[in-house]
Amino acid sequence: MKGPLSTTAILLAGMYVFLKFILPLFTAPLPASLIYLYLVLTLSATMIFFTMSGSSLDSFMGPIGRFLAGTDVGGTAKTARLLVLIVFPLLVGWQTYTRLAPSDLPPAENRTIHPAPPGEFVGLSNPYPTNEQNIQEGKGIYAANCSPCHGPNFDGKGTAAPGFNPPPANFADPGTIAQLQESYLFWRIKKGGVGLPIEGMPWKSAMPRWEHELSDEKIWKVIIGEYDGAGQSPRTWEEEE
Amino acid sequence: MEIKKMIAALLGGLVVLGGAAYASEPPPDGAPASVSVRVYLTEGALPVDDPNSSAWDSVAASEFNLAPQVHWPNRLQEATVKSVKVRGLHNEQDIAILVEYQDPSEDAADAAALEFMVGDKKAHFAHGQEMLRVEGGPVNIWYWKKENGKAIDMSAQGLDLEGPKKLRPQEEKFQNVKATGVWSDGTWKVVFSRALQTGEEQDAQIEPGNWTSVAFAFWDGQLVDGVVKEKGSQKAVSSWWYIRAEPPPDNSIFGYVVMGLLIAAAFEFFLVRKIRKGQSA
Repeated sequence: MKGPLSTTAILLAGMYVFLKFILPLFTAPLPASLIYLYLVLTLSATMIFFTMSGSSLDSFMGPIGRFLAGTDVGGTAKTARLLVLIVFPLLVGWQTYTRLAPSDLPPAENRTIHPAPPGEFVGLSNPYPTNEQNIQEGKGIYAANCSPCHGPNFDGKGTAAPGFNPPPANFADPGTIAQLQESYLFWRIKKGGVGLPIEGMPWKSAMPRWEHELSDEKIWKVIIGEYDGAGQSPRTWEEEE
Repeated sequence: MEIKKMIAALLGGLVVLGGAAYASEPPPDGAPASVSVRVYLTEGALPVDDPNSSAWDSVAASEFNLAPQVHWPNRLQEATVKSVKVRGLHNEQDIAILVEYQDPSEDAADAAALEFMVGDKKAHFAHGQEMLRVEGGPVNIWYWKKENGKAIDMSAQGLDLEGPKKLRPQEEKFQNVKATGVWSDGTWKVVFSRALQTGEEQDAQIEPGNWTSVAFAFWDGQLVDGVVKEKGSQKAVSSWWYIRAEPPPDNSIFGYVVMGLLIAAAFEFFLVRKIRKGQSA
């Protein structure tokens, strides 16, 4: 096959196969919306490339024009043309309906998972050293208070977890406490869900406001126990410099 | 050149419309089964006194997971009720909500509650608990207990562990919620009902077509060694979800659909005609 149109079709098909079937072998599957976005970008790039000169524009648009006009087409191409001409108005009608029909989907919520902490909680250092005694003490406090939601394995899979929206944080995930400083955890544990700013949607969080029940010492130690149990290390100022 | 632009427009339209169809995929595995309750519009009287009415079979249920209340003391490590199915009906005047959940025994202290945000301000799902950096709003709670045999209309705002208790029943003259419960074979079915709109500031006003936040709570009142198993803050709870009363049908939508179809077909007709003219020239 030759020509810009067939090259574009091959590129798009190749990109789709790569994104849909090959990439998930190495990482998490991409959502359909992202695959679509990448395909649009690919199509845009090839269209820009093939329409940069008059001759390439003609060779790109020519076959499409002949296909749509129905001249010099027969057999399968004729059926395909008919399908395109029927499907396009139907898609427009369907899109019109889905845009105007009352939606059963509730309003979208853009919750910020890690909003900025208040100034008083920025840059605090854990006054307790990470040693075996503090680790064990922290894990004991965690088991008694945190594990029903965050799980005995620090993975967010506690017995109470399925009932909450948003779900409890999975500390074993490198995207949670490993990305945060200890002072951030101190704030979140001490003030709980109700201490979040508006972008964190405090009205939805089940995280208790532990300052009513745990001393600052216990909160610092539970942080030590959490990092050790989850096999993570806190983000430090030194790494940011 | 004009023909090429029209072809590009057709291609662009196909890409956008086809993409929208492709990208609208179902939620990923592990996501909750439901995120909202659809309150179906019906005609005539609602089955407010009959949780077993066949009218409930005609509407789809939403299902929500529940968790033991662990947000504040006294906590619960494991709750009896694990999930709830919720169905809703309204007739543009009144609303009826059926909650159905598993509870192995029928006990006098068994109880169920619905909670709604009131007004535009957000309220914490734990009875409108005070939020530290966000001004909170009130909640309206519809509470039913087997031994009372009726519902209590309650309000709360800015509840705090150290402050006075602000969860309170509304005055008798403002009590406007009804509830009826039936237990059978390990399942409670409780119907709550009320006017969609009461005009009372402390009540949740349910406007068809609008989304309202709702949460659920259940107590297993079984006696264990002479003590009620779940009471007060010890209960099964849900997070905030959404509820919406279905608006009356709007048939004007189909007019716009037909208009869209006709415009697209006319566009194709003129495009093909233009191309053919260009080819014959």
